[in-house]
This record gives sequence, C-alpha cells and structure tokens, in this order.
Amino acid sequence: MNQLLRFLIVLLPIVVLIFFGKILLVDEDIKFSNFNSKIFPEFQLNDLDGNPVQSGSLNGVKILNVWASWCITCLVEHPFLTRLSEQNIQIIGLNYKDSDLKANAWLKKHGNPYLFSIYDPRGDLAFDLGVTGAPESYLIVNNQVVGHIQGEMNQRKWETIFLPLIQKAKQGS
Amino acid sequence: MIGEISHFLSLSAVLLLSLVLIFNLFFFFSKIHPNQLTLSMRLFNQACWLVFISFGMYVYLAISDDFSIAYIANHSNSQLPIFYKITSIWSAHEGSMFLWIVFLTAWSILFINSLNNNHPLKKFTLLMLSLIILGFLLFLLLTSNPFERILPFGAVEGADINPVLQDPALAIHPPMLYLGYVGFVISFSFITAYLLNGNFELQWEQDIKNWSLVAWIFLTIGIALGSWWAYYELGWGGYWFWDPVENVALMPWLAATAFMHSLFASSKSNVLKTWTMFLGILIFALSLFGAFIVRSGIIDSVHSFANDPERGLYLLSFSGLITLFALTIFAYRLPALNSSKLVVTGSKESFLSMNNILMITSIFSIFLGVTYPLIIESINGDKVSIGPPYYNTIFAPLILIAAIFIMISVDALWQRSMPLRRFFTAIAVPVTLSLISMYLIWWTTSVFSILAYIGIFSGLLILFSYLLRVINNLFNKKFINKGSAIAHTGLGLLFFAVSMNSILSYEKNLNLAPGQSILVDKSVQEFSFNDIRVIKASNHDVISAKVSLLQDGREISLNPQKRKYTTRGQITSESSIHATFLKDTYLTIGDQLENGSWTFSLKINYFIKWIWFSAALMVLGMLLTIFKKKVS
Repeated sequence: MNQLLRFLIVLLPIVVLIFFGKILLVDEDIKFSNFNSKIFPEFQLNDLDGNPVQSGSLNGVKILNVWASWCITCLVEHPFLTRLSEQNIQIIGLNYKDSDLKANAWLKKHGNPYLFSIYDPRGDLAFDLGVTGAPESYLIVNNQVVGHIQGEMNQRKWETIFLPLIQKAKQGS
Repeated sequence: MIGEISHFLSLSAVLLLSLVLIFNLFFFFSKIHPNQLTLSMRLFNQACWLVFISFGMYVYLAISDDFSIAYIANHSNSQLPIFYKITSIWSAHEGSMFLWIVFLTAWSILFINSLNNNHPLKKFTLLMLSLIILGFLLFLLLTSNPFERILPFGAVEGADINPVLQDPALAIHPPMLYLGYVGFVISFSFITAYLLNGNFELQWEQDIKNWSLVAWIFLTIGIALGSWWAYYELGWGGYWFWDPVENVALMPWLAATAFMHSLFASSKSNVLKTWTMFLGILIFALSLFGAFIVRSGIIDSVHSFANDPERGLYLLSFSGLITLFALTIFAYRLPALNSSKLVVTGSKESFLSMNNILMITSIFSIFLGVTYPLIIESINGDKVSIGPPYYNTIFAPLILIAAIFIMISVDALWQRSMPLRRFFTAIAVPVTLSLISMYLIWWTTSVFSILAYIGIFSGLLILFSYLLRVINNLFNKKFINKGSAIAHTGLGLLFFAVSMNSILSYEKNLNLAPGQSILVDKSVQEFSFNDIRVIKASNHDVISAKVSLLQDGREISLNPQKRKYTTRGQITSESSIHATFLKDTYLTIGDQLENGSWTFSLKINYFIKWIWFSAALMVLGMLLTIFKKKVS
C-alpha cells in the first residue's frame, strides 16, 4: 500500500504534466481552427482615397488587417505584411480610429502592403467585427470570416493559424 | 535610459541568484565552507533588492508616461490619473507577472531573514527560494519582457487601460490575490528543505505557522474582493461563476485551508505530519497550476491573457519540475516520516483528518471540472462545458459532511475520544434547531430545492453549534477558541447565505419606452422608466437612464448606465444597485429595440452582502488566531 502510494504521488503529477504538454504542443492547431466562422458584417464605408468600398471586394481569399497610424505594434508587423503582399497574398487594411491624413502619410512613409484600406474613423465596422484593438487580422474566404489573429502577425502565427485554414479553404472550393 | 537601468537590474538579479545556486552546488559535496551561508545570504539579499529597485523604476516609468516601452504604451495613457497609471502595470500579463515576482521576492527575503543563521533548514530553504525566484525572473525576461522598447521611435500616446479595469478594485484585487498565492512559497520551500535535510526530529511547524496564516488571509481577501468586484463594479450580476480562473484560485484556497487545520493538529499533538507536509507542497503547486492556466491561455476564460504557447510551455515545465522535485522527495521520505502518532478515533484530530480528506475530494472535483472539457476536446474534438450544476451537485453533499464534522468537533477533545453520551448531546440541539428553522424557511418562502436545503441545513448546523458553544461559554465558563469560533461562524453563514441566495433570488427582463411604467410582481409594484440621456465624458460617452421603483412600499430611484469608451470602442455596463439588509435590487440597462424601447434586466439578489460579510468573519477569525499565538 505504502509503496503504491509513493508511486502514485510521483506518477499523478507526471500524468498531468504530459496531458497539458500534449495539449500545448499537439492540440494547439486544433484549438485555433475552432474559430466559429461568420458572415462578414455589412458596411458602407470609403477607402482611404475617398472611394466607396465595393461589397464584392471581399470575395476570394483575403486577409483583413486592422491597423492605425497610432498603433505601435502595427509598425512591428508591417515588414511581415509587406513580405506577404510580395508573395501575392491579398491584404486589405481596415484603418481603425485614425485620421485619413495621418494614415495616408503613414503609408507613404512605411510603404503600403494593402490592396486598399477601408477607412473606419469611428470604428463602426471594427465594432461589428468584434475588434478589440489594433493590430488584428482576419482571414476572409468568400465574404466569410474564418480565422482571427489578435495582436502582432508573424511567421509563426501565419504558419500555424492562417496557412492551414487557407489550404482547407482551397481544398473545399 | 531608466528603462534600460531597470531592465539591467533585473538581469543582475538573475545573475546573482544563479551565483547563489552555482556556488552552493559547487560546495555541496565538499566540506562546508565556513562563510558559505553568509555569502549566499548576502548575494540573495542583494538580488532581492535589485528586483525591488527595478520594479520601483518601472513604476516611475509608468507614471512618467514612457511610451517607448511597449508594455506601457499598450496599457497606459497620458490622460489617466496617476493612480491608474500605476495600476495599469498589473492590468495585463507582463506587468502582473512582474508584480507577482516582486511579491515572491518580498515574502522570500522577509522569511529567510527571520531564520537565524544556525537554523538547520536555512540553507536548503534559501536554495529553494533562489531557484523559484530565478525560474520566474527568467520566465519574465525571456518570454514576457515588460521592458521591451519600441524601436526606433516610441509611441506618442498610449493605447489606454482596458476600461473594465479602470476601477479602484483593480488596485487591490490582483495584488491581494498574488500576495496570497506566492505567500505559500514559504511553506513549500521550507517543507522541501525539511525533507531534503532528513532530520525528522526537528520541529518545523511553528516556524511557518504565522507566515502561512497571513498568506491565507491575503488569499481569502483576494478571492472575496474579486467576487465583490465582479458583482458591484463589472456588472456581472452574480458573485461566483465557476469560471476556470475562479476555480484555480479556489483550489489553492481549499488546500491552504486544509493545510492550516492540519498544521494546528500537527503542532498541537504531533499527528497528521505527513498530511501537513503534503498539503503544504500542494498549495504552492496548485498556485503554480493556476498561473499556468491563466497565462497560457489554454482555457478560454474572462481572465485569460493572450494565448501564447511558448509561455505556457515554459510555465508548465518549470512549475512541473519544481513540483515534481518536491513530491519525489516527499514520496522518497514517506516511510521515514510515518512515525507520527496515531490519531484517536473521535478526537478532535480525527475530525481534522476527515476535513483533509474532504478538502482533497473538493480539490479533485474542481480539478476534474476544470480539465474535463480539455480531456474531451483532446480525445474527440468535442466542446463540452462544465457549469454550476456540476459543482452544485458535487459540493452539496461535501458541504453537509463537512458541517456535520464541524458540529461534532466543536465539542470534541484533543487526543481523546469522545464519550457517546456527549456526542449525542452535542448534536441533538443544533440538529433540532436547524430542522425547525428549515421548516420555518420553507413555510415562509414555500420554495424547495434539495441542493439548496442541504446547504441551508449545513450552514445552520454550524451556526447553531457555535451559538450553543458561546452560550455555554457565557453561562458555564466553558472554554471557547475565539478565532476558530468566528471563522467557522463565517463559514456557516457563507453556506447559509449562498443557499438562501440561490433559492430566493430572481431575475426579470423588461422592455420599456421612456415614460412608461409597469407592474413587475408583488414586491416591485411599480417600475417607471422616467428618462434617458446621453452624456459626453472625457474618454467615454454615457447613456444614462433614470428609473424609479416602488418596492415593498418604498420609493427607490436607480440610475443604470452604459458607457462606450472612445479609445478602445469598448462598451461597459454600469449597473445600479439599491441595497437593503436582506436583498439587493440590481438593475442593468441593455440595448435599444427597434420600436424605441429599451431592455432592462432587473435582479433581486437575496443575502448577497452576507457572503462577503462571512468572508470578512473568516479573515477576522484567522487574525485572532495569529494574535493569540503571538501572546502565548
């Protein structure tokens, strides 16, 4: 009995450790892909040049990136987004709670990886999308929001969260 | 510049702590160097001071709006009052981890310096503490660096604190909770040191008793404040949600409570020593588990920080290793430890050991509740959620058994069995009184729920047994342990209040346009929605409603609000509460409907204030216990 008890005292924590280790290492991808997809909310907004955004522009596979000129982390992820756009990934900006003057100046200074940027100074569309702050990125497939990354976009998040979803979407269509 | 100095000081602390460890490992097998401990202590103290100064500088950075530091830029704002600039430090992961470490360091330096240099356990305790602080400092600096700069240019303005956290309660709830969590590093390190040392003649309980009592008090206050904050400030409308993060705070609390009881028994009559040691290790292990659950984002919860598997992995492996280390030594030493005296059946100690078993059962049930959804999801990908029904069903019988043991143990003796006649006289009166009161409650409220009545019965049993004891004390001069009596009365009151709350409280959803009034029920005869206005405040817009109620013949005016914060676009709900002795009237405003009317949620919460009052009683009881021990 005593032998068994001693054995269990050590074994049980090990089982717990292995279990959580497995969840962290193996199940991580499953966890992220469980994002409930929803239809992209309706909106009527202009882009940063003042032209109304066409509703058909969200067909196909698109990344919607929430950014602002006041947002620091946006500057951090900017080089990575630029690299993505060079690989012909289509990225649409959602300029969030910003002024168009500052936003355009920011794009001019740092480069523009976006096809166009939706100008959302009051954060209306962002609110409907459930944005909590900039930066955030959404994966949109044919007007459906299928994936979500909060905070900085980087190589790791891109590979583990968005890439598998994009491949899944391509196989599905 | 100050940021770099602050960062550098933390790094130096890492260096000094590593030196302590390397230095002691080096001399471990050789003859003990005469100045080994003195030198280690000096290095350790300096490392601790470096952490404090580093944190002090970090506070200064936050106050002086240094938005070139990414963390401060993301969580503070120049418009904030100084108070919130400081509290914003622990409003997210990195800063709160920093605070956690500062408290860890503070407990450690205070405790280790309270032991004199000849204390046989001092060296191993010092090593354990150094190892733990070092591990967490490295975690902070490697995976969640709060000093990170935004290069090349800093931000002009900060992104503002989360509005939900713009509340005075934020200033106290997390620090209290952390002080409680990390306070048990003392019992953990000391017990591990005792097991490493291998001289089991040594009496160790007294050395950590008061430290653990103080940590228990902080933990209790921290949990109670969190529940109070959720109810009064966050507008959640309840006091406890069995949220995973509440659960991981409750587990160490239960373990700590069992530990304290067990510690009283083992220091008084030399029994349950192995239990006490096991529990002492378990509390801190569960605290670490809590930190892992919250900070890895593995479970979705209201509290969880952003999901980052790297952090999760580090925390899991580090806390797993030190816990495993302690438990392995414990298991290894177990045969040698089993020398403590046997517990006499029917004595006070026997009820305390029952209490240990009950607490372990509760902890295990909660642990299962927290991990079960993960287990299922990991096996077949299904999402299940474990909610209040699970916990209520599990806890009702456990509470009843605990109450019965408490009732009997009020009259039980240390080390001696209780005569059967005495046993029956001890339980006859409380049981009879409780049954009569239950009948009266049922008669006045005409509500019945088996689980709630089990809770009410349990609460009443405890309350009446202590009432009886107090009467006995007044008239027959029987001895009464004041601290224990007050703390247990608090527990009885808690059971009673929670159960009464669950059967009596109700919620009504109402739809009204401004100017309308309706009859709600017998108690709330008139509900009039007088006016609604939009007010602009500095950093948010307020929608403020004016409502008046005719409740139980009295006129009450309530003023629920909704706020939309401009910087983050977040919407928060400010409920309006009218409190009386027995019940709270709790009103929240919802959305505007298309026909122009507004939705309201009216909650009538019974006995809710009693819940926090009972927590206050428990804390008071523990405080008296500390005070009494210091006198004798």
